[in-house]
Amino acid sequence: MSSSVEIESLKDENGKNIYTVLCTFCSSKILNPGSSTYVNIEVAVKLHRMQRKDEEEVEEEEEISDYWMVDDMFTFENIGFSNTVENLKYLICADCEIGPVGWHNLTDQKSYIALSRVKHD
Amino acid sequence: MAKTYDYLFKLLLIGDSGVGKTCVLFRFSEDAFNTTFISTIGIDFKIRTIDLDNKKVKLQIWDTAGQERFRTITTAYYRGAMGIMLVYDVNNERSFENIKNWIRNIEENASADVEKMLLGNKCDLADRRQVSKQRGEQLAVEYGIKFMETSAKASINVEEAFYTLARDIKAKTEKKLKEASNPTKSGGHALRAPEISRKPPVWLARCSIL
Repeated sequence: MSSSVEIESLKDENGKNIYTVLCTFCSSKILNPGSSTYVNIEVAVKLHRMQRKDEEEVEEEEEISDYWMVDDMFTFENIGFSNTVENLKYLICADCEIGPVGWHNLTDQKSYIALSRVKHD
Repeated sequence: MAKTYDYLFKLLLIGDSGVGKTCVLFRFSEDAFNTTFISTIGIDFKIRTIDLDNKKVKLQIWDTAGQERFRTITTAYYRGAMGIMLVYDVNNERSFENIKNWIRNIEENASADVEKMLLGNKCDLADRRQVSKQRGEQLAVEYGIKFMETSAKASINVEEAFYTLARDIKAKTEKKLKEASNPTKSGGHALRAPEISRKPPVWLARCSIL
Protein backbone atom coordinates (compact mmCIF):
# COMPACT_ATOMS: atom_id res chain seq x y z
CA MET A 1 0.00 0.00 0.00
CA SER A 2 2.60 2.55 1.08
CA SER A 3 4.52 3.78 -1.91
CA SER A 4 8.22 4.51 -1.49
CA VAL A 5 7.55 8.22 -2.03
CA GLU A 6 5.03 8.21 0.79
CA ILE A 7 7.37 6.38 3.15
CA GLU A 8 10.17 8.87 2.45
CA SER A 9 7.93 11.67 3.68
CA LEU A 10 7.19 9.84 6.94
CA LYS A 11 10.75 9.21 8.12
CA ASP A 12 13.70 11.47 8.87
CA GLU A 13 17.32 10.98 7.72
CA ASN A 14 17.87 8.42 10.50
CA GLY A 15 14.79 6.45 9.55
CA LYS A 16 12.83 7.63 12.58
CA ASN A 17 9.12 8.45 12.38
CA ILE A 18 8.64 12.19 11.89
CA TYR A 19 4.99 12.22 12.92
CA THR A 20 2.93 10.90 15.80
CA VAL A 21 1.61 7.42 15.05
CA LEU A 22 -2.12 7.12 15.74
CA CYS A 23 -4.90 4.57 15.51
CA THR A 24 -6.64 4.92 12.14
CA PHE A 25 -10.07 4.51 13.70
CA CYS A 26 -10.09 6.23 17.10
CA SER A 27 -6.89 8.36 16.95
CA SER A 28 -5.50 6.85 20.14
CA LYS A 29 -1.82 7.80 20.35
CA ILE A 30 0.45 4.81 19.70
CA LEU A 31 3.93 6.31 19.24
CA ASN A 32 5.53 9.69 19.75
CA PRO A 33 7.60 11.21 16.92
CA GLY A 34 11.14 9.84 16.71
CA SER A 35 10.46 6.79 18.86
CA SER A 36 10.60 4.09 16.19
CA THR A 37 12.74 3.15 13.20
CA TYR A 38 11.54 2.28 9.72
CA VAL A 39 12.29 -1.26 8.55
CA ASN A 40 11.48 -3.06 5.35
CA ILE A 41 11.15 -6.74 6.06
CA GLU A 42 12.20 -8.96 3.19
CA VAL A 43 10.09 -11.88 4.27
CA ALA A 44 6.82 -10.09 4.72
CA VAL A 45 4.77 -11.29 7.63
CA LYS A 46 1.17 -12.04 6.94
CA LEU A 47 -1.28 -10.11 9.04
CA HIS A 48 -4.98 -10.82 9.29
CA ARG A 49 -7.04 -8.12 7.71
CA MET A 50 -8.55 -5.75 10.27
CA GLN A 51 -12.30 -5.98 10.44
CA ARG A 52 -14.95 -5.15 12.96
CA LYS A 53 -16.76 -7.80 14.93
CA ASP A 54 -20.07 -7.01 13.26
CA GLU A 55 -18.63 -7.37 9.79
CA GLU A 56 -18.88 -10.62 7.99
CA GLU A 57 -15.76 -12.60 8.63
CA VAL A 58 -13.34 -12.88 5.79
CA GLU A 59 -10.45 -15.25 6.14
CA GLU A 60 -7.88 -13.06 4.62
CA GLU A 61 -4.30 -12.21 5.27
CA GLU A 62 -2.32 -9.36 3.87
CA GLU A 63 1.38 -9.26 3.16
CA ILE A 64 2.96 -6.18 4.63
CA SER A 65 6.65 -5.36 4.60
CA ASP A 66 6.87 -1.73 5.81
CA TYR A 67 7.04 -1.32 9.58
CA TRP A 68 7.98 0.99 12.39
CA MET A 69 10.27 -1.03 14.66
CA VAL A 70 10.25 -0.40 18.40
CA ASP A 71 13.08 -1.81 20.56
CA ASP A 72 11.41 -1.56 23.94
CA MET A 73 7.68 -2.21 24.38
CA PHE A 74 7.47 0.56 26.96
CA THR A 75 8.28 3.06 24.23
CA PHE A 76 4.64 2.77 23.18
CA GLU A 77 2.30 5.47 24.42
CA ASN A 78 -0.75 3.23 24.25
CA ILE A 79 -0.95 -0.28 22.85
CA GLY A 80 -2.55 -3.65 23.54
CA PHE A 81 -0.90 -7.06 23.37
CA SER A 82 -2.77 -10.22 22.43
CA ASN A 83 -2.10 -13.58 24.01
CA THR A 84 0.84 -15.46 22.55
CA VAL A 85 0.47 -17.24 19.22
CA GLU A 86 3.53 -19.34 18.53
CA ASN A 87 6.26 -16.80 19.06
CA LEU A 88 4.27 -13.63 18.55
CA LYS A 89 1.91 -11.33 20.32
CA TYR A 90 -0.31 -9.30 18.01
CA LEU A 91 -0.57 -5.59 18.68
CA ILE A 92 -3.90 -3.79 18.84
CA CYS A 93 -5.12 -0.29 19.59
CA ALA A 94 -5.34 0.10 23.38
CA ASP A 95 -8.56 2.07 23.10
CA CYS A 96 -10.80 0.66 20.37
CA GLU A 97 -8.95 -2.66 20.11
CA ILE A 98 -8.80 -2.66 16.33
CA GLY A 99 -6.05 -4.89 15.09
CA PRO A 100 -3.71 -6.41 14.40
CA VAL A 101 -1.77 -3.23 13.74
CA GLY A 102 1.48 -5.15 14.07
CA TRP A 103 3.18 -7.76 16.20
CA HIS A 104 5.67 -8.26 19.01
CA ASN A 105 8.40 -10.85 18.67
CA LEU A 106 8.98 -12.70 21.93
CA THR A 107 12.46 -13.88 20.93
CA ASP A 108 14.12 -10.52 20.36
CA GLN A 109 11.49 -8.44 22.21
CA LYS A 110 11.11 -6.07 19.27
CA SER A 111 7.74 -4.75 18.18
CA TYR A 112 6.62 -3.90 14.64
CA ILE A 113 3.81 -1.53 13.66
CA ALA A 114 2.60 -1.75 10.06
CA LEU A 115 2.77 1.67 8.39
CA SER A 116 -0.35 0.90 6.40
CA ARG A 117 -2.42 0.13 9.48
CA VAL A 118 -1.92 3.36 11.36
CA LYS A 119 -2.16 7.05 10.53
CA HIS A 120 0.56 9.66 10.79
CA ASP A 121 -0.19 13.13 12.07
CA MET B 1 18.09 4.46 23.46
CA ALA B 2 17.47 6.52 26.58
CA LYS B 3 14.53 5.58 28.71
CA THR B 4 11.59 7.75 27.83
CA TYR B 5 9.63 7.41 31.04
CA ASP B 6 10.06 7.91 34.77
CA TYR B 7 8.04 5.09 36.23
CA LEU B 8 6.65 1.74 35.19
CA PHE B 9 3.83 0.25 37.24
CA LYS B 10 2.30 -3.16 36.78
CA LEU B 11 -1.41 -3.15 37.60
CA LEU B 12 -3.93 -5.97 37.80
CA LEU B 13 -7.69 -5.98 37.43
CA ILE B 14 -9.37 -8.51 39.69
CA GLY B 15 -12.98 -9.45 40.35
CA ASP B 16 -15.71 -11.88 39.35
CA SER B 17 -16.49 -12.64 35.72
CA GLY B 18 -18.90 -10.21 34.14
CA VAL B 19 -18.22 -7.21 36.35
CA GLY B 20 -16.81 -5.32 33.39
CA LYS B 21 -13.10 -5.57 34.13
CA THR B 22 -12.31 -5.70 30.46
CA CYS B 23 -14.38 -2.58 29.82
CA VAL B 24 -12.44 -0.73 32.48
CA LEU B 25 -9.40 -1.28 30.28
CA PHE B 26 -10.55 0.74 27.33
CA ARG B 27 -12.35 3.88 26.40
CA PHE B 28 -15.03 3.11 23.87
CA SER B 29 -16.72 0.03 25.22
CA GLU B 30 -19.78 0.57 23.05
CA ASP B 31 -18.11 0.76 19.70
CA ALA B 32 -15.04 -1.31 20.40
CA PHE B 33 -13.82 -2.85 17.20
CA ASN B 34 -12.22 -5.92 18.69
CA THR B 35 -11.90 -7.90 15.49
CA THR B 36 -12.93 -11.51 15.28
CA PHE B 37 -9.31 -12.53 14.87
CA ILE B 38 -8.24 -10.68 18.02
CA SER B 39 -11.26 -11.78 20.11
CA THR B 40 -10.39 -15.38 19.34
CA ILE B 41 -6.81 -15.03 20.53
CA GLY B 42 -7.66 -12.83 23.50
CA ILE B 43 -5.92 -9.82 24.98
CA ASP B 44 -3.04 -10.29 27.39
CA PHE B 45 -2.25 -6.78 28.60
CA LYS B 46 -2.18 -3.13 27.68
CA ILE B 47 0.39 -0.41 28.02
CA ARG B 48 -0.87 3.07 28.81
CA THR B 49 1.07 6.26 29.34
CA ILE B 50 -0.12 8.89 31.76
CA ASP B 51 1.31 12.11 33.07
CA LEU B 52 1.49 12.39 36.86
CA ASP B 53 2.85 15.64 38.30
CA ASN B 54 5.07 16.08 35.22
CA LYS B 55 6.41 12.54 35.45
CA LYS B 56 5.80 10.15 32.60
CA VAL B 57 4.28 6.98 34.00
CA LYS B 58 3.83 3.77 32.03
CA LEU B 59 1.06 1.51 33.22
CA GLN B 60 1.08 -2.11 32.22
CA ILE B 61 -2.42 -3.35 32.90
CA TRP B 62 -3.35 -7.01 33.03
CA ASP B 63 -6.75 -8.57 33.04
CA THR B 64 -7.28 -11.96 34.67
CA ALA B 65 -8.62 -13.16 31.32
CA GLY B 66 -11.06 -15.74 32.62
CA GLN B 67 -8.78 -17.21 35.29
CA GLU B 68 -11.21 -15.83 37.86
CA ARG B 69 -13.76 -18.43 36.82
CA PHE B 70 -11.76 -20.88 38.89
CA ARG B 71 -12.29 -18.62 41.91
CA THR B 72 -8.60 -18.36 42.48
CA ILE B 73 -5.69 -16.73 40.80
CA THR B 74 -2.22 -18.14 40.85
CA THR B 75 0.81 -16.57 42.45
CA ALA B 76 2.45 -16.20 39.04
CA TYR B 77 -0.21 -13.73 37.99
CA TYR B 78 0.46 -11.55 41.02
CA ARG B 79 4.23 -11.52 40.60
CA GLY B 80 5.59 -8.03 40.36
CA ALA B 81 2.14 -6.43 40.70
CA MET B 82 2.34 -3.03 42.32
CA GLY B 83 -1.33 -2.13 42.18
CA ILE B 84 -4.60 -4.04 42.09
CA MET B 85 -8.01 -2.77 41.05
CA LEU B 86 -10.68 -4.83 42.79
CA VAL B 87 -13.77 -4.58 40.63
CA TYR B 88 -17.37 -5.53 41.42
CA ASP B 89 -20.63 -4.80 39.64
CA VAL B 90 -23.00 -2.55 41.66
CA ASN B 91 -25.90 -4.45 40.06
CA ASN B 92 -24.62 -7.81 41.28
CA GLU B 93 -24.66 -8.47 45.03
CA ARG B 94 -22.65 -11.67 44.67
CA SER B 95 -19.74 -9.92 42.95
CA PHE B 96 -19.62 -7.49 45.90
CA GLU B 97 -19.65 -10.26 48.51
CA ASN B 98 -16.83 -11.98 46.66
CA ILE B 99 -14.54 -8.98 47.05
CA LYS B 100 -13.65 -10.32 50.52
CA ASN B 101 -12.58 -13.61 48.94
CA TRP B 102 -10.51 -11.78 46.37
CA ILE B 103 -8.79 -9.77 49.08
CA ARG B 104 -7.96 -13.00 50.90
CA ASN B 105 -6.58 -14.41 47.66
CA ILE B 106 -4.45 -11.30 47.25
CA GLU B 107 -3.17 -11.48 50.81
CA GLU B 108 -2.12 -15.08 50.26
CA ASN B 109 -0.47 -14.56 46.89
CA ALA B 110 0.56 -10.99 46.23
CA SER B 111 3.31 -8.85 47.72
CA ALA B 112 2.21 -7.51 51.10
CA ASP B 113 2.68 -3.89 50.12
CA VAL B 114 0.67 -4.00 46.88
CA GLU B 115 -1.54 -0.92 46.56
CA LYS B 116 -5.25 -1.79 46.31
CA MET B 117 -8.34 0.10 45.22
CA LEU B 118 -12.02 -0.88 45.16
CA LEU B 119 -14.20 -0.09 42.13
CA GLY B 120 -17.98 -0.42 41.97
CA ASN B 121 -18.52 -0.63 38.24
CA LYS B 122 -21.57 -0.08 35.99
CA CYS B 123 -22.95 2.70 38.20
CA ASP B 124 -24.75 4.16 35.15
CA LEU B 125 -27.50 1.52 35.41
CA ALA B 126 -29.25 3.10 38.42
CA ASP B 127 -32.49 1.11 38.25
CA ARG B 128 -30.75 -2.23 38.59
CA ARG B 129 -28.52 -1.37 41.53
CA GLN B 130 -28.13 -3.97 44.28
CA VAL B 131 -25.17 -2.55 46.16
CA SER B 132 -25.40 0.98 47.55
CA LYS B 133 -22.49 3.36 47.26
CA GLN B 134 -22.39 3.51 51.05
CA ARG B 135 -21.73 -0.23 51.36
CA GLY B 136 -18.86 0.07 48.92
CA GLU B 137 -17.40 2.91 50.94
CA GLN B 138 -17.77 0.95 54.17
CA LEU B 139 -15.98 -2.06 52.79
CA ALA B 140 -13.15 0.11 51.53
CA VAL B 141 -12.80 1.73 54.96
CA GLU B 142 -12.74 -1.72 56.54
CA TYR B 143 -9.75 -2.67 54.41
CA GLY B 144 -8.15 0.76 54.50
CA ILE B 145 -8.24 1.18 50.73
CA LYS B 146 -9.64 3.80 48.36
CA PHE B 147 -13.02 3.49 46.69
CA MET B 148 -14.72 4.84 43.58
CA GLU B 149 -17.82 4.08 41.59
CA THR B 150 -17.14 3.84 37.88
CA SER B 151 -18.94 3.40 34.62
CA ALA B 152 -16.77 2.18 31.83
CA LYS B 153 -19.72 2.63 29.48
CA ALA B 154 -20.37 6.25 30.41
CA SER B 155 -16.64 6.88 31.02
CA ILE B 156 -17.34 7.95 34.61
CA ASN B 157 -14.27 7.95 36.87
CA VAL B 158 -12.44 5.20 34.99
CA GLU B 159 -9.42 7.35 34.18
CA GLU B 160 -9.51 8.98 37.58
CA ALA B 161 -9.40 5.59 39.22
CA PHE B 162 -6.22 4.67 37.34
CA TYR B 163 -4.67 8.05 38.11
CA THR B 164 -5.50 7.66 41.80
CA LEU B 165 -4.01 4.19 42.02
CA ALA B 166 -0.92 5.22 40.05
CA ARG B 167 -0.44 8.32 42.20
CA ASP B 168 -0.54 6.23 45.39
CA ILE B 169 2.00 3.76 43.99
CA LYS B 170 4.23 6.61 42.89
CA ALA B 171 4.14 8.16 46.36
CA LYS B 172 4.98 4.81 47.93
CA THR B 173 7.81 4.17 45.46
CA GLU B 174 9.31 7.60 46.01
CA LYS B 175 9.16 7.12 49.75
CA LYS B 176 10.99 3.81 49.44
CA LEU B 177 13.65 5.26 47.15
CA LYS B 178 14.19 8.09 49.59
CA GLU B 179 14.56 5.70 52.48
CA ALA B 180 16.96 3.55 50.48
CA SER B 181 19.18 6.49 49.53
CA ASN B 182 19.31 7.83 53.09
CA PRO B 183 20.43 4.91 55.24
CA THR B 184 21.17 5.58 58.90
CA LYS B 185 24.55 7.28 59.06
CA SER B 186 25.55 6.26 62.56
CA GLY B 187 26.30 2.66 63.38
CA GLY B 188 27.42 -0.17 61.16
CA HIS B 189 24.17 -1.47 59.73
CA ALA B 190 21.60 0.52 57.90
CA LEU B 191 18.12 -0.76 58.48
CA ARG B 192 16.14 -1.09 55.33
CA ALA B 193 12.72 -2.36 54.53
CA PRO B 194 13.05 -6.00 53.46
CA GLU B 195 11.07 -5.38 50.26
CA ILE B 196 13.71 -3.08 48.91
CA SER B 197 16.50 -5.60 48.98
CA ARG B 198 14.28 -8.42 47.80
CA LYS B 199 12.54 -6.78 44.91
CA PRO B 200 14.20 -5.53 41.74
CA PRO B 201 14.07 -1.80 41.12
CA VAL B 202 11.08 -0.39 39.29
CA TRP B 203 12.75 -0.38 35.92
CA LEU B 204 13.63 -4.06 36.23
CA ALA B 205 10.15 -5.19 37.17
CA ARG B 206 9.37 -5.57 33.50
CA CYS B 207 11.61 -8.62 33.31
CA SER B 208 9.00 -10.70 35.06
CA ILE B 209 6.24 -10.17 32.58
CA LEU B 210 6.86 -12.50 29.71
